[in-house]
Amino acid sequence: MIEVNNLHKTFTSGKDKVVALDGLSFTAKDGEITGILGPNGAGKTTCLRTLYGLLKADEGSAKIDGINVSEQALLARKQLGIFPDKFGLYERLTAYEQIDYFASIHGLQGTTKHQAIETILNDLEMQELAHRKTAGFSQGQRMKVTLAQALVHQPKNFVLDEPTRGLDVMSTRILRNYLSRFKAKGHCILFSSHVMQEVAALCDRVIIVADGKLAAQGTPQELCDLAGEALLEDAFVKLIGSDEGVAA
Amino acid sequence: MIQLKALILKEFKEAFRDKRALLVAMSMAIMTPIMIFAMSKMMIKEMVSTPAIYVKVSGAEYAPKLIDTLKKENVQLFTDVPNEDKVLWDERNIQMEIPDSFAQDMLDGKTIDIILRTDYSDKAMNSPMRRIKGAVRGYSRVIGYKRLMVRGIDMRLLQPVKLIEQDTAVPNSSAVFITLILGMYLLMVAFMSGLSVAIDSSAGERERNVLEMLLCQPVNTLKIVLAKLFCASTIAFIAILLTLILTSISVGFVDLTKIGATFSLDAYTVIVLLILLTPLCLFASALQLFVSFQAKSFKEAQSTVTMIIMLPAMIPVILMFIDDKPKWLDWLPVSGQSMLIEDVFKGLPVNWLAVATTSLITLVLTAGLAKILAIRLRSEKVVLSLS
Repeated sequence: MIEVNNLHKTFTSGKDKVVALDGLSFTAKDGEITGILGPNGAGKTTCLRTLYGLLKADEGSAKIDGINVSEQALLARKQLGIFPDKFGLYERLTAYEQIDYFASIHGLQGTTKHQAIETILNDLEMQELAHRKTAGFSQGQRMKVTLAQALVHQPKNFVLDEPTRGLDVMSTRILRNYLSRFKAKGHCILFSSHVMQEVAALCDRVIIVADGKLAAQGTPQELCDLAGEALLEDAFVKLIGSDEGVAA
Repeated sequence: MIQLKALILKEFKEAFRDKRALLVAMSMAIMTPIMIFAMSKMMIKEMVSTPAIYVKVSGAEYAPKLIDTLKKENVQLFTDVPNEDKVLWDERNIQMEIPDSFAQDMLDGKTIDIILRTDYSDKAMNSPMRRIKGAVRGYSRVIGYKRLMVRGIDMRLLQPVKLIEQDTAVPNSSAVFITLILGMYLLMVAFMSGLSVAIDSSAGERERNVLEMLLCQPVNTLKIVLAKLFCASTIAFIAILLTLILTSISVGFVDLTKIGATFSLDAYTVIVLLILLTPLCLFASALQLFVSFQAKSFKEAQSTVTMIIMLPAMIPVILMFIDDKPKWLDWLPVSGQSMLIEDVFKGLPVNWLAVATTSLITLVLTAGLAKILAIRLRSEKVVLSLS
């Protein structure tokens, strides 16, 4: 379970002040897929980075399974699988070695580690890729490796920042199936996306963030009803109060 | 422990798989012995042989005996210069003027002024000028002595005091030029070889967007820093080991006895050098990581880190100019090691207390840098500059 409570974050550089988060609160429950939607610059990445413990909130708290991130960052991160906004790969390592590396960082070793790696390789259908160096991988293959290294330790909570970016249909379907299966196992999944159809199809609950605040939340259907629109995209635009940033 | 092992293993895998960077790192080690070999060969040749010198002599016909003496010392007339060397010696332009009154003045016992003219600031002229001056002085002295003998005067009267010089240098230290170069090179190798790995694993990872992913993991930043530090300094250490091995082999091919010098890198010297240089490898890598983690890009890191390489090159040179060295210089990194290495090459007994003090101070500074870096990696500033 991920709880975000009244987060405030202001960035100052010289005289400029940018309010990135202005009292954002939401909860992503176990056994649900929670989508986080918002125009560019709404504070999504800042919110997620606060959740990883990379940034410290000025006010408010983020808790993962009840562990306060700002107090026990390392412990909180152990409960997390992270698929970051910008991901890169160690291009001189093979896919298997990268997954192995992250598994070890999460404290796995011996046969447990090997089993965990084999499981994730099978689940994401990437056995063929496993022993190739990742230099020259396609966008979809890179995404799979990143996903595998984020999930190899079977974390209770997943945070995915636009995971379907640049993926072909087949890879997107694998990802969707995978997320659904994890949801069924009772994991908490939080993911941000710009693709409305995907959010509508996949998410149990949607959180709309605008100007660092919670603009609305509910099931996709509830949001449509709230805005009086038939499509989630139209509802989204209406709820954030502008069509700025939607094209992105 | 599992984490640290995984972090270190990954750094090594990446470092050793980047063949080109590794080759660059080791190139210093391979270059050094070759350079030392070539330079000593050249120096020996210059010191042992007496190549022909061509002088533009005006009035040679007035002093045939002087010219003969010069020719015995292989100082030739410019008119005899072979075609292929003509341009060179014309440029060097050594002129000698012999007055037409030479024979008469010699007969009258007057002092004869012979003018020797060239650009004295030109280093290449040092050796030829020394030989010409020596030949003329010798010629002059022989005539002078003969004059006294003819008058029945003991020549020893001219030398009331005779200075006898005795060199107490240990045989090893006469190979000064090799040790000077090697000492400086070893410091350079310590600073340069880990460079590419240090930059690649810090600024490079940031540029490839893998640093953020790593910082999000449940791992202490100090472990990340230590793994990278260990890897970069190991590469530097390997380079130093390679330099020492290759140098000891290559010096064997140069016959230093020709110039009365001996130089050997025995196992004991190598071990002392390694003990001295290992903390320096760590310090150099820590400094490089510290600087390149602050840089926004690979390029920026490269240009800033280059400044650090100047340290080992500059400090020994500066030390040479300080006659009364303050005591604290013995303890600081680079300067301390530089002076100790000099002593080792001079064949002096190793001052273990000084070795322990410099090593300890170097290691403490390294640990300090690593700790500060680990704290900085947790700061928001670093995270914000990620994107």
